[in-house]
Amino acid sequence: MTSPEAVGIGALLSRPYKSIRLEWSSELSALRVRTCVTPVQCYSLSAMGELQRVLLDIAENQGLVKHFVMTSDVPGVFNFGGDLSLFVLLIRARDHESLRLYGRRCVDLLWWMETAAQIGVHTTVLVQGDTLGGGLESVMPFHKVIFERSAQAGFPEVLFNSFPGMGAWNFTIRKAGFAVANEMILSGKLYTAEQLHECRLVDMVVDDGCGEDAIEEAMRAVHPRLRGTLAALQARSIAAPVTYQSLMDIVDRWTVNSLNLTDRDLKLMERLARAQARKGTRGATEGAVEEIKRVELERAWGEERTGITEWASL
Amino acid sequence: MSNFFIDLVTATDEARREFETHPVVFASVANGMSIDRYRALLGELYHIVWHFNPICAAAVSRITDEFANVRDFLYRHMHEESGHEQWVLNDLEALGVSREHAISRPPSPNVLALVGFNYWASDRRHPCSVLGMMYVLEVLAAVYGGPFSATVKETLFLEGDRGTSFLSSHASLDAAHMAELRDILNQLTIAEAKSAVVESVLVNFRQITSVFAAV
Repeated sequence: MTSPEAVGIGALLSRPYKSIRLEWSSELSALRVRTCVTPVQCYSLSAMGELQRVLLDIAENQGLVKHFVMTSDVPGVFNFGGDLSLFVLLIRARDHESLRLYGRRCVDLLWWMETAAQIGVHTTVLVQGDTLGGGLESVMPFHKVIFERSAQAGFPEVLFNSFPGMGAWNFTIRKAGFAVANEMILSGKLYTAEQLHECRLVDMVVDDGCGEDAIEEAMRAVHPRLRGTLAALQARSIAAPVTYQSLMDIVDRWTVNSLNLTDRDLKLMERLARAQARKGTRGATEGAVEEIKRVELERAWGEERTGITEWASL
Repeated sequence: MSNFFIDLVTATDEARREFETHPVVFASVANGMSIDRYRALLGELYHIVWHFNPICAAAVSRITDEFANVRDFLYRHMHEESGHEQWVLNDLEALGVSREHAISRPPSPNVLALVGFNYWASDRRHPCSVLGMMYVLEVLAAVYGGPFSATVKETLFLEGDRGTSFLSSHASLDAAHMAELRDILNQLTIAEAKSAVVESVLVNFRQITSVFAAV
């Protein structure tokens, strides 16, 4: 005879996914999602659809999954955030509705993480490489955020006159305070794992290669006191609330702003998309992070020589 | 007005990403391609661009008054695209390929399949399917044309628009075209026309990927 749990997890694990891989640990009732979006590790529409499917399955089988873990299968990259090619397409099509829909889908994923404690799930994320923009936004609502030491992260959107519109403000302010959110979002700078740990955006930094053990330790540490931890986390969301409505209002602002991006802004976005793609090619070591550093350098040189923060040419 | 554009983007996003994902396309946009392969690609593009207006004309000739707005849109678009195959020939000439050679070089089976499907779909499936072909070509131009032409320029040391005028100019031209195309797609309300457009987008992405992969 098959137990109801086995039926639930069997159905959950047997769905055909392209961008994610699922692993189940029955000892801790832990479901691990490994992401691998080709060719660029970002939140494409189909990848988000698959993630949403997994999260719905968990919600529909309450009590089955007690730990949700997310990691990346792409070496050196956790997530580059939004699908920049799709953004360029929609912005050039002047498609307000679709951009807004994309943003709202991102927020729905965040909101699941934010409310996971209510359905009895503790969430842990391990970041082992670059995570930018929406990639960084997506890790912030996790209950436990672990970075390997060489990981870098930031919100580069301001470099192309946009801003991170899917939870960056809300979650950075809650975890690290207003000043840190201001600095991170308005500067577009990249931060090391250690810097993010110092400002409390990251809960734990471990040496490269030690992330897997850290996930295991984090889950085992919380497991014996899971009910109390989840109850406390629910209380936390009352004490320091992030509301669904405020997330959606920010998405709406992000959408309007996106449609006002100029051709020059879009060209920079394309330049970063190209750099992201380069990182995906076999043997390439440079990607969007290196490109952002180059852009920052160009801007610094521009300021020093002319006092103008715009780039002479892209 | 319907929101068919959203449905179309969502229903065909995987096909667009599969185009991006193809190793040849991916490496070409990220790292460029050799001059021989770029010449071969332009040679294929010449035939695709040459057939663009005749395919639109075939569709226009079969469009009933129910889709008069689509017919008017195609008239305007055909006028704007008229003679653009000459831009491809100019680029080929700048890269050392004579016009005569480019014109006489037969299209590959992949291009024949692409062009053949679009004639067939306009004739036998639904004349609005031509909007699917336009969507794919304009996505290619507006989203990938700019980065690809920039990479080609960098890697082949081409100056200005020499050898890349077709790609560079369409990257900016088609930005306005995308918005116009979105408007006309959102005016489609008949299910048969919508499904023909979705099918056409899927086939065109697949065939364009094959064209890229083979050069």
